[in-house]
Amino acid sequence: MATLMEQRDPGWKLFGKIQPREGSIKDPKRIQKEYETKSGRAGPGNPTSPRQSVRKNLDFEPLSTTALILEDRPANLPAKPAEEAQKHRQQYEEMVAQAKKRELKDAQKRKKQLEDRCKLEESIGTAAQTWNQEILPNWSTMCTSRRVRDLWWQGIPPSVRGKVWSLAVGNELNITHELYNICLARAKEKWNTTPAPATEGEAEDAGSSDRESSLELIKLDISRTFPQLCIFQQGGPYHDVLHSILGAYTCYRPDVGYVQGMSFIAAVLILNLDTADAFIAFANLLNKPCQMAFFRVDHSLMLTYFAAFEVFFEENLPKLFAHFKKNNLTPDIYLIDWIFTLYSKSLPLDLACRVWDVFCRDGEEFLFRTALGLLRLYQDVLTCMDFIHMAQFLTRLPDLIPAEQLFQHIASIHMTSRNRKWAQVGCCTFYILGFVAGFLVRLQTILTTQILRLH
Amino acid sequence: MQNNHHKEHLYKILVIGDLGVGKTSIIKRYVHHNFSPNYRATIGVDFALKVLNWDQETVRLQLWDIAGQERFGNMTRVYYREAMGAFIVFDVTRPASFEAVTKWKEDLDSKLTLANGKHVATVLLANKCDQGRDVLTNNGIKMEQFCQENGFVGWYETSAKENINIDEAANCLVKHIMASENDMLQSEVPDTVTPQLEKDKGGTCSSCFRSQ
Repeated sequence: MATLMEQRDPGWKLFGKIQPREGSIKDPKRIQKEYETKSGRAGPGNPTSPRQSVRKNLDFEPLSTTALILEDRPANLPAKPAEEAQKHRQQYEEMVAQAKKRELKDAQKRKKQLEDRCKLEESIGTAAQTWNQEILPNWSTMCTSRRVRDLWWQGIPPSVRGKVWSLAVGNELNITHELYNICLARAKEKWNTTPAPATEGEAEDAGSSDRESSLELIKLDISRTFPQLCIFQQGGPYHDVLHSILGAYTCYRPDVGYVQGMSFIAAVLILNLDTADAFIAFANLLNKPCQMAFFRVDHSLMLTYFAAFEVFFEENLPKLFAHFKKNNLTPDIYLIDWIFTLYSKSLPLDLACRVWDVFCRDGEEFLFRTALGLLRLYQDVLTCMDFIHMAQFLTRLPDLIPAEQLFQHIASIHMTSRNRKWAQVGCCTFYILGFVAGFLVRLQTILTTQILRLH
Repeated sequence: MQNNHHKEHLYKILVIGDLGVGKTSIIKRYVHHNFSPNYRATIGVDFALKVLNWDQETVRLQLWDIAGQERFGNMTRVYYREAMGAFIVFDVTRPASFEAVTKWKEDLDSKLTLANGKHVATVLLANKCDQGRDVLTNNGIKMEQFCQENGFVGWYETSAKENINIDEAANCLVKHIMASENDMLQSEVPDTVTPQLEKDKGGTCSSCFRSQ
């Protein structure tokens, strides 16, 4: 390997690849040494490992300046003319100087980032205090106040997030911890009784919709829920909790069962609440008209939501709206993922939690407002793309999304169209269908609860 | 520089099959040449674009990775529109996902036909073949026969993880799509005698089956 490198190596070396050769006409160590002496960075003695001694002496050591070493041509090639050698030495020094400058700048940037983070952490600390000591004890009177709403918009501190979500989502369904335990016990009963005949039974009537509700789907999806966090996977600390909540829900609402996307919502709740409270928030959240429409895959109602979304899309971002229309990019293509998972899959988790914060405050309207905020944020890049690239971009958003910028864009989205608000644009459909659905849901819930209790 | 010899083709291809059979993994392997055991569940639909050089022509494949849960059927069927080909994927370690194959195929055929009334070219993928082939060996089904009976133009044992047969399967699909495209172009010309395709079709099919 070393000989191979020697033959085609032009005279620049990266450290670590091959040993500096002793027999060359000009010792590379000497050049390095020369450079160090010139720039006043030579370590005290120890010529065998100049790098180490340099490291010790400096607070901050640019990496590339030591990684790149000027070396003469291999001995088997004719020597460089002096002029050329001089030129190369000069180029080398310029490169080193530039690299050093760049790295110094990076170091300064890192320092600034650290300072910003400390500042942020401090402000989160004070906010947590305000929420804990002032707001939460007086929730019912304060939650609608201007000040609390403003604080809310800035993001709820993680330490009180779960509590605030619980309060804001409420418990219209009156689920108790006891009911959760009943549902969980029933789910466990099912898991324990079905496994053996499950595969055969499934194979026999694969045509029935029963194949769908099988608990196998939950198992398959759990391992694919926030896989990068490694906490919901088999053997992870929250694997069983996620399994329990989803299983209990299929017993609580057998008519809805498990639908993809639910695992992400449950997971976000688990990260912020204790198991039983997470279940209560989960069931109540899914019971909201918009979530019910989506998770029951009520196609016509979903289309009504998409149509209402398009009204505000055209109003707020007419140019982009026209571009989407021209390319036949319909909102379902990106909204389905965003709404089903409440952005927890598409946005970085901390940003998704901030969207959840305001979603808990403002309701479903905020989900669609966030979508428009995202479109507004990326308006310029999207306008230059064709269908497939837009679809790809929107179903896989960038890994780094600037939170403050996104919220500024969301803030500048107006959710009124010709004096009509979100719910009105839905042509009262949301209300009427929502009311009917809500009534049926409540009836169903009461019956389920009774049945479970009797059981 | 660009002459009319250089033709561009754009094909929309559906990737369907039960939940968790590895649709996303297959696409990632095919397009990005990598594999991770950590893909997230697909909700709704995901997209990928693959560009191929095919006999000095450019073929762009628009891959539509459609969520596997049956419940989403109502909502995702609109995505079948204008597709030119499809992969139906099952997991060789999960018999139920194979049982569902005929249902996926029927669903596809009932919702999508080409301009000439024919069904779109569909290749069956027996994925996760690195983890065993229980479904293939235990149920006594002859895959060639199964494919012919159910109108698949070919089938492959694939592994996204070990990169087995993904490119081969895609090439097979592209070949059939191009053939059916030519067929449609020919049938559009009114006064030409269109060759009888049944015989021809049989020939290309068996070439795709990996029979030794």
